[in-house]
Amino acid sequence: MTAGTRNALLGATGIALFLVLWETVGQLKLAGISWPPLSAVLEMLTDEGRRPLFQRALVATLEETAQGYLWGTTAGLALAALAHLVPPLRRGSDRLAAVLNSVPSIALGPIFLVLLSRDSTPAAVSSIHVFFIVFVSMGSGLERATPAHRDLFAVLGADRLKRFRRLELPAALPALASGLRLAWPAALIGAIIGEWFGASRGIGILIINAMQNFQIVLLWCAVLLAVGASLVFYGLLTLLERAAYARFG
Amino acid sequence: METAAPKRPLLLRVVEDYWGILLLLLAWQLWVVLNRFNPIVMPTPVAVLGDLVGHPMVYVRNVGITLAVAVFGLVAGMAVGTGLAVAAWFSPVASGLLNPLTVLFSSVPVVALIPVIARLLGYDTSTVLAIVVIITFFPSFVFASSGLRSPPPGSEDLFRVLGASRLSVLWRLALPAAMPNLAIAFKLAAAHAILAAMVAEFLMGTSGLGYLFAKTKSDFQTEQAFGASAVATVISAAAFLLAGLVEKRVRARYA
Repeated sequence: MTAGTRNALLGATGIALFLVLWETVGQLKLAGISWPPLSAVLEMLTDEGRRPLFQRALVATLEETAQGYLWGTTAGLALAALAHLVPPLRRGSDRLAAVLNSVPSIALGPIFLVLLSRDSTPAAVSSIHVFFIVFVSMGSGLERATPAHRDLFAVLGADRLKRFRRLELPAALPALASGLRLAWPAALIGAIIGEWFGASRGIGILIINAMQNFQIVLLWCAVLLAVGASLVFYGLLTLLERAAYARFG
Repeated sequence: METAAPKRPLLLRVVEDYWGILLLLLAWQLWVVLNRFNPIVMPTPVAVLGDLVGHPMVYVRNVGITLAVAVFGLVAGMAVGTGLAVAAWFSPVASGLLNPLTVLFSSVPVVALIPVIARLLGYDTSTVLAIVVIITFFPSFVFASSGLRSPPPGSEDLFRVLGASRLSVLWRLALPAAMPNLAIAFKLAAAHAILAAMVAEFLMGTSGLGYLFAKTKSDFQTEQAFGASAVATVISAAAFLLAGLVEKRVRARYA
């Protein structure tokens, strides 16, 4: 047995053990009524009658997350490129990004509620999370081109913009891809928190309603939906990251 | 950095380092003034500062609570993460079992777990603490694991040749090799610890900065709500900077 298959087997066992543990604790009520067995949660999640509810929430949250992800990525790339091309702006943009990242998400909600609208707030909160991660990863990626390559471009007479486009940008892609992967769960968290400030539907709304009405199984369903929405895209972005490292790393 | 470069004039330094933040504050002030927002809807940064100066004790008390939970949770989370990473280092079976699970968990949106944990542990500080522990656990486990596995090339052979026990390899080689990575985990976790504690406090409504925010927001004391957020922003930015300095020192010492 190769090390790869052995690790895969062990990993699958680990996950299976976790799921069995979850079911057992729920069945035996070891953690009280707040911990339903996995089977009960899955049963509700696949219940035909509830499908429209879950589908609406999932689609709404995914739309907001995708929108925030796009805005945040654009803003992060733009500021990173600006700071890289205009060095005097660098220190200030680093600090701006660090401070924006330190603003509590629950404070961003009310601000965007006034600045934009109820429906854009989740995407806006989510974009701030994404912005920081993309800015940081792109910034460090752009520094990655080696001095030897820079010298070569200088000797061959490439101007600043050409060097940026042909050398520094491609060299930055692996780091950017890592950032894009890490940014997805952060974007989802931003959208969920943003929804608490008055969105009409979404997973965040589902979570809050289930919590306030003590619908325990529904609450776990909402959590599983969030986890699924996070994992699927996280997995896809991991593939993108691998491709970026293979091609440009 | 300041000592190496010739000293820049103070004004230039402030503009160079803080132009983004200053622009943001200026835009906020203008936006509120020009739109004539009612302070209940959106206060100016100047008004928020006024509230901070006017009622310092409210803030101090709640900052103390949030900071205590964040620091305690940060330490506990890093201890658990490093401990499990060491266990996985000792046993390939444990590491095989744990690795995919932690990858799985590290992409889970933790805020979604807050209500579930609150149902299990109760709507009080223990839940806030649990959230901070969870949020700091993952980076420390992931970074400690990879650090423990990447000692300087050849050094492991040397230890084996000299007949070192597994324990002494851990203590003398693997743990020091993991220190720079642990420092990165610390930097990532430090700023998030306070923000995560605040979100949990906000949902739970018990005590601390998040609670202060929720309460003043619903009482239409918007200035104080933003004051609480401003304080949290400053603390978490300071934690990020401080942790960055710690990371630099650790890297200089161990790398």
